[in-house]
Amino acid sequence: MLEVLNQEPFRFLLTFGALIFLVLNLAAVLTLAERKVSAYIQLRYGPNRVGPRGLLQPAADVIKLFTKENIPLNRADRWVFLLAPAFMFLPAVAVWLVIPFSQNAVVADLNIGVLFFVAITSIGALGVIMAGYGSRSSYSLLGALRGAAQMISYEVPLILSLLGVVMLTGSLALSDVVNAQGGGFWNWYIWPQLPMFLIFFISGIAEVKRIPFDLPEGESEIVGGFMIEYSGMTWALIQASEFAMMAVVSAVTATLFLGGWQPPLPFLDLGAFNWLWFAIKTTLLLFVFQWIRWSIPRFRMDQLMDLGWKVLIPLTLIWIFVTALWMLIF
Amino acid sequence: MLEEKRKTVTERLASPDIRDEFGLETMDMNMGPQHPAMHGLLRLILELDGETIVRCDPIMGYLHRCQEKIAENRMYPAVIPLTDRLDYFANMHNEHGYCLAVEDLLDVEIPPRAEYIRVLMCELMRIASHIPSIGFLLLELGAFTPILYAFRERERIQDIFEAVTGARMMFHYIRIGGVKADLPPEIPEKIWNYIEGLERRIQPDFIDLIEGNEIFISRTRGVGKMTPEQAVELGLTGPPLRCTGVDFDVRRDYPYSVYPELEFDVITDDAGDVEASYRVRIREVWQSIRIIKQCLEKMPEGEVMADLGRRLRPPEGEGFGRVEGPRGEFAVHVVSDGSDVPYRVHYRDPSFVNMQLLQEIVPGHYLPDIMPIMGLIDPVSGGWDK
Amino acid sequence: MAISLPEGSLEERLRRYLEGLSGSHGLEEAGIEGNVVRVVARPEDVPAVLATARERLGILHLSFITVVDRGDGDFELTYELLDLRGGRVRVRTNLRSEEPVIGTVTHIYPTANWHEREAYDMFGVAFAGHPDLRRVYMWQDHFDHHPLLKSFEISTKRTFEGLR
Repeated sequence: MLEVLNQEPFRFLLTFGALIFLVLNLAAVLTLAERKVSAYIQLRYGPNRVGPRGLLQPAADVIKLFTKENIPLNRADRWVFLLAPAFMFLPAVAVWLVIPFSQNAVVADLNIGVLFFVAITSIGALGVIMAGYGSRSSYSLLGALRGAAQMISYEVPLILSLLGVVMLTGSLALSDVVNAQGGGFWNWYIWPQLPMFLIFFISGIAEVKRIPFDLPEGESEIVGGFMIEYSGMTWALIQASEFAMMAVVSAVTATLFLGGWQPPLPFLDLGAFNWLWFAIKTTLLLFVFQWIRWSIPRFRMDQLMDLGWKVLIPLTLIWIFVTALWMLIF
Repeated sequence: MLEEKRKTVTERLASPDIRDEFGLETMDMNMGPQHPAMHGLLRLILELDGETIVRCDPIMGYLHRCQEKIAENRMYPAVIPLTDRLDYFANMHNEHGYCLAVEDLLDVEIPPRAEYIRVLMCELMRIASHIPSIGFLLLELGAFTPILYAFRERERIQDIFEAVTGARMMFHYIRIGGVKADLPPEIPEKIWNYIEGLERRIQPDFIDLIEGNEIFISRTRGVGKMTPEQAVELGLTGPPLRCTGVDFDVRRDYPYSVYPELEFDVITDDAGDVEASYRVRIREVWQSIRIIKQCLEKMPEGEVMADLGRRLRPPEGEGFGRVEGPRGEFAVHVVSDGSDVPYRVHYRDPSFVNMQLLQEIVPGHYLPDIMPIMGLIDPVSGGWDK
Repeated sequence: MAISLPEGSLEERLRRYLEGLSGSHGLEEAGIEGNVVRVVARPEDVPAVLATARERLGILHLSFITVVDRGDGDFELTYELLDLRGGRVRVRTNLRSEEPVIGTVTHIYPTANWHEREAYDMFGVAFAGHPDLRRVYMWQDHFDHHPLLKSFEISTKRTFEGLR
């Protein structure tokens, strides 16, 4: 029986199901984390009524969202409107397929893992456009236009900032990237690629559409932007996909620049439990996401574009050149 | 250069010939009255070219209670609680303005202690209005945290108000001829302690965190830029006028109450944009702290209420009261016909007048800039809608 | 800075304002009370009086416009001007008409725009030449009363008539 499960289509379906489960749970936990982190930054307690110290709050949220009415829009382009959340959520799950959680613990060790990540995340922009166009509201439309412009522009520095790592490794497979960073934290790519790490993380924030780059939502001027007309579970799915994307970007950053599941020092090797290192690194990056979210204001569209095209892209190009020179000389 | 570009875009779209020739279309957008970031119930009809605003038309009246009509049907003292509902972030100033107008009619002498208590309360109110308005400005820029720090300060001031007046927002404390009651004995010390604490907190909690922030600067510097001429033409008062460099403060130029005896500076800034209005507000808090300290030191003993008799019947005539509210000049014009109800009460509310700025300044800006410009004016719904 | 705020002592300035205003217009009444220059002008002269105040005397700020309904189509308009340095000029005029009309001052003091709209909304005083004379507060389409008139009695019924 178990043998059958290890056969290819079954194994893939099982692990993919497990991943969806993981991502949904991750999103739920992240909502609680977000509320707690924001509360402590803002001199508040945060949710503390449901369960011990508010730990069951995500469950309560999920129940609430499931029982909420999903208000259908008369004027909406129905199928586009309803499919948009799926187009946002599925990429966030699919990227997890290529991320190595630990040694040999990867669903599909594609030899073009980096490309797969880039290709799949850009589908998210499609979901935003569909949501904004399908709702047929001027706020949504503005949000979608902003979202499309922003996600497509920031795709460029995101891809370019990956190139340094790819050049150093000589492989597009994420497992190779992780293996190349073994042997201690001084071998991590964050050191030779520090500017690239920062650019990747900044563009990642822009991809996830969080403050300071949350213009597609921009709740103070366009009130939620592309998701203004959503309610109930479709809305929850959009939120979940935002959190899942956030986790994906953190995980990929940890994999590419912070050594993935590699322990920071050789003697801390936990063997089969090395995924703990991966989890810790991802969690730390997620905290940075939330820290930024609750500390600084948001950019304006033209400033966002300026930053992307006039600062980040030239910087990545320069650093690619520097990396190439360095490889040529040594 | 950006300014020029915006101007050409606006001109291009404003001219219908060019619009038709190139098939350009603008999008109409309705902002408010139920908009989460709008100050109260304001509706803006916007015409957008992409994200550039071509036309902005504020529609008011969603909170209009016709306070002036209600006041014509009430006795003089019974109008005071209504003035609390005007600009509900500057209740003390509204009460003060109205009482000054009626006292002008009656020509009465106010006990000096009452004058000091009035000024003390008004300056606390100014702090309780300026600090949240800075918080709102940041909230509109997308930073959620400062508003909670700001409301912490406001809450503490409200605690003081509650101890003094019995209410947290709608005080009904300043009365015609004085104030309702003397300060409770422990309150001066409590205010002093709070003010000292605020002085320590304001630098790390507000100035250090906000003023140097790169995103804050890029979102506010040059946004809502206006010249002193424009500001004076539009009749602005308060921080929006002072941030352009025009040195006008009712407290100094049209002195009332005991302000001539107190030392304070009128804060101006010459940039005339949102960032300058923020700087003016935060520095005015320091000046308010100065005034409060002087009030507490100089406050004489004595009565807090002049004897006016049980029923007020001011002589026929007119009374004017003018105070410097947190948002600008708040003026009251009371006309009496000799009976015990006012014949006509007119409020000049700074929020109402300052909002004219929107029509003039907003076109040419981007859509997200509306919110910082609203933060520059900092209007209050109860104020502009009377 | 191109804005020049007035200088000199208050009494001197008030005298200058009084002379400047009474010299050029046939005013019904003019005098100084305390630190207020009180001027009563004919309705048709009001824009000219304010233009003199703004352009010749350099009084920068129009604080407010009050309309008082004295009943039977008798309206009293008060324009309060401030020179921002302690001086006040109060221009008063009496309009006697069932359908009052007075010249606008928006081209002299642009801030008068909304003040005049408010006066129109509340009293039905029309301002000839106003660029945008719409109601400020009340419903634009179905409400044709002017609530601050003394003849308007408070009644919720009337507020919603015509809405159906």
